[in-house]
Amino acid sequence: MRSLIRCLFVALATGAAALPAVAESPLLENRVHEGALPPMAQRLPHEPQIVDLALKGREPGRHGGTLRMFITKPRDIRYMVVYGYARLVGYTEDYALAPDILRDVEIEDGRVFTFHLRKGHRWSDGHPFTTEDFRYWWEDVANNAELAPAGLPRVMLVDGEAPEVTVIDAHTIRYAWSERNPLFLTQLAAARPPFIYRPAHYMKQFHADHADPEALAGLMDEVRARNWASLHNAKDNMYRYDNPDLPSLQPWVSITEKNAQGYDLIRNPYFHRVDAQGNQLPYIDRIELTIAAGGLIPQKIGLGEVDLQIRSLAFSDAPVLKQAEAQGGYTTYLWVNGAGSDIALYPNQNYTDPDFRALFRDPVFRRALSLAVNRKTINRTLFFGLAKESNVAPLEGSPLYDPALSSAYAGYDPQTANSLLDTLGLDARDGDGTRILADGRRLEIVVETAGERPEVSDALELLSEMWSEIGVKLIVRPLDRDILRNKVYAGESMMPVWYGWNNGVPTPNAPPRDLAPIDQTQFSWPMWGQYFQTKGQAGEEVETAVAQRLLELYESWLLAIDAEARAAIWQEMLAIHADQVFAIGLVSAAPQPLIASNRLRNVPASGIYAWEPGAHLGIYRMDEFWFDG
Amino acid sequence: MLAFILRRCVTMLWTLVVVSILVFIIVNLPPGDILSNRIDQLMASGEESSVAQALFLAEQYSLDQPLWRQYLIWIGVWPGPEGFSGIIQGDFGWSFELDRPVWDIVAEAMWMTVVLNFSTIVFIYFFALPLGAIAAVKANTLVDYLATFIGYIGLATPNFLLALVLYNYGAQWFGLPVGGLMSREYAGAPMSMEKLGDILLHLIVPVIVIGTSGMAAMVRRLRANLLDELGKPYVVTAAAKGLTPGRAVVKYPLRMALNPFVADIGNLLPQLVSGSVIVSVVMGLQTVGPLLLQSLRAQDYFLSGFILLFASVLTLIGMLISDILLAVLDPRIRYSARAR
Repeated sequence: MRSLIRCLFVALATGAAALPAVAESPLLENRVHEGALPPMAQRLPHEPQIVDLALKGREPGRHGGTLRMFITKPRDIRYMVVYGYARLVGYTEDYALAPDILRDVEIEDGRVFTFHLRKGHRWSDGHPFTTEDFRYWWEDVANNAELAPAGLPRVMLVDGEAPEVTVIDAHTIRYAWSERNPLFLTQLAAARPPFIYRPAHYMKQFHADHADPEALAGLMDEVRARNWASLHNAKDNMYRYDNPDLPSLQPWVSITEKNAQGYDLIRNPYFHRVDAQGNQLPYIDRIELTIAAGGLIPQKIGLGEVDLQIRSLAFSDAPVLKQAEAQGGYTTYLWVNGAGSDIALYPNQNYTDPDFRALFRDPVFRRALSLAVNRKTINRTLFFGLAKESNVAPLEGSPLYDPALSSAYAGYDPQTANSLLDTLGLDARDGDGTRILADGRRLEIVVETAGERPEVSDALELLSEMWSEIGVKLIVRPLDRDILRNKVYAGESMMPVWYGWNNGVPTPNAPPRDLAPIDQTQFSWPMWGQYFQTKGQAGEEVETAVAQRLLELYESWLLAIDAEARAAIWQEMLAIHADQVFAIGLVSAAPQPLIASNRLRNVPASGIYAWEPGAHLGIYRMDEFWFDG
Repeated sequence: MLAFILRRCVTMLWTLVVVSILVFIIVNLPPGDILSNRIDQLMASGEESSVAQALFLAEQYSLDQPLWRQYLIWIGVWPGPEGFSGIIQGDFGWSFELDRPVWDIVAEAMWMTVVLNFSTIVFIYFFALPLGAIAAVKANTLVDYLATFIGYIGLATPNFLLALVLYNYGAQWFGLPVGGLMSREYAGAPMSMEKLGDILLHLIVPVIVIGTSGMAAMVRRLRANLLDELGKPYVVTAAAKGLTPGRAVVKYPLRMALNPFVADIGNLLPQLVSGSVIVSVVMGLQTVGPLLLQSLRAQDYFLSGFILLFASVLTLIGMLISDILLAVLDPRIRYSARAR
């Protein structure tokens, strides 16, 4: 029966091949002719993911070409997993979740997930991709005490409970929890997804339960691994992507060992997406990643050494990039940054000093600081007025965008700010106008920054002048990123500066992770986040009523079923944030330059550059880009 | 002479022990280490499976032990989880940042580093010796001022700025490549004439940038030393006896003025390996320098510790060589210390 379907499909596909548009990629043509590789129709799954480019406003393209891009470190090869963005389920361009590698997902009651794989789907080495690959990860990796001594990853746990995993047939697998698991699919769609499947046929040779002990010992000697688990871990790099032998499902697969010069990637001949004409994606045959020093990348772009680049470019590079456009044969587009704010200051509500902590916990104090910021000046000075002068809030493009949220306490009003501070008992001033705390200390706020972006240092410079008008002395201290983080987690940092929320374009169906104290990486309340994260083993319990309320709302979001209830919860949380000004956002949606060769088609002229959701270029589907001429 | 060398070797060993302790303390000074940082980060992002991997490595490399024991294990005089396996046994450790043995990483970067820095040293000597000598002989003339001017540009311009300017105009006017030490297509290729040419083309700007300041310093020093010598009576005597001006300078005063350069060899050797860190980072050269910086930033202490220790060893060897050379070159220098 299956062979009949296969025949039928081949017939259909060859029928389609009569159309001039369908062609084998030039890279694979020879190998197909020689018989080393089956023709395209046989490499595709029986039900491929058909992409209607016209519907997306894109033009169908043709195969071929090499895309050149710069990375700055050897391990940046992992960005090809991010940009490739082949996920079990993935976000579409309007941030809706849709099956991608999977043919379909059935969800019962939010707790039973049945995955339907595409029949005939294959790994990049041609081996069938089946539920065996899921089973292998679940039984032989995640539940193996030597490979996962810390137990199951959190993505598989609901309140500490593991799912019941049932392999129904070669193309159907079911994960069932007794409680609802609203985060499961969104995590599978993440920029850095938990890979809950592995190429079992390849990985088994490194697994003590499956491999021949002698062969395994030989392999261990080869890489000087100290036990089989470390060998397995070293080969098992679905995300790090630095093992060219590891089969993949991404559009491009690496053919280069880890090195310090660069990587070559070639198209995955078994990729599961096709355009409406029947051409297998990706259009582009090869990707060439070259490692270069970050500071030299704009110069090299000017010399025409790049076809597509967004990472390592900052807005301050835009003039240089624009100037060399003709010489380099590319166009500069300005996308927008997708964080909730580009530069945000976080009064640390877990700061160790009790007096300052009390101030930071007082919404009046935070509002006063926010009102004293002249966002227009910062925007004009640093971004030629191209950014948005708003507080931390959803950006335009998010269904939750509301101008009232963005503009809350974002106007420039030093008089009100001054009188608000006076009401807090801070009316005494020092000789230079700096306010004095009750115990005689000056109101000096040390703002710690990771010092990675020049615009942040410049903005803080401007800010210190603005705040001196309301008697607040700002002192900037640059720190290394990791040291800054650790200081914040320990409550030793007064007011770190960072991006606003990770997700600046939330949808009601995205978990409101940035808004409630559930994670220590939230600089407003690292210890409360830690407490939630570790289930009370570390950190401190939430101490303010409003943070408690946010926590309740977050938990009720997890239980909410329909989009309306979720939207209502989001709106209440956003309103609390706008009113309380937990973080002082300076500017949002700062322009992010992207350059694309003039020969490259289907590159969106505008877009949102965000890690989560979005995977940077991921949701813009690089596999649909193609070279003209 | 032999006794002198032997004595020096014993002293070197002691120095090395002290240096290794210092290096170990310094690389461990910042709070935390790469694995605990990584574990914190992974914990925060909810990736327990990777945490386990990191914890496993921490145990394998004894990061859970007290610092003094970590040191002894690192050196190789205390048994680690796998028995004695440290520097003495030739196991230089594991780089957690790059997930590879330290020696592989350093060895890979080493030969390009040596090529680059050796070319730079040749460049420095090639230009500094004649320039310095001419500047001294023709002191306070146009030639002197010109040499001084070039020297000041080399000394006073920040290297990274010079690098960017040279790359920009080099690419515009001469089509020189920007950044790196070779084109990608030659990366894994065996040595060939094309590859050599490509590397030489890539070397031009880095050598000028790194070399200029060193050259300037050397020109100034040579000029000062030679000026001192030129005023001495024996030079006057030589001239009076009818030696040609060129011979009168080269035969005696120039040799005398060279002493500081021989003494410099001690510093040159480590320079070959770990010199020019910041400029290499700016210019994207895959040498040991950027590795050192990166490993220090990431607190990847096996790697940073090994590079520092290696550079110290080279300094010590360089010092020994320069001492021997000095003794050979200048009989007035005695190698037996006076009775202590």
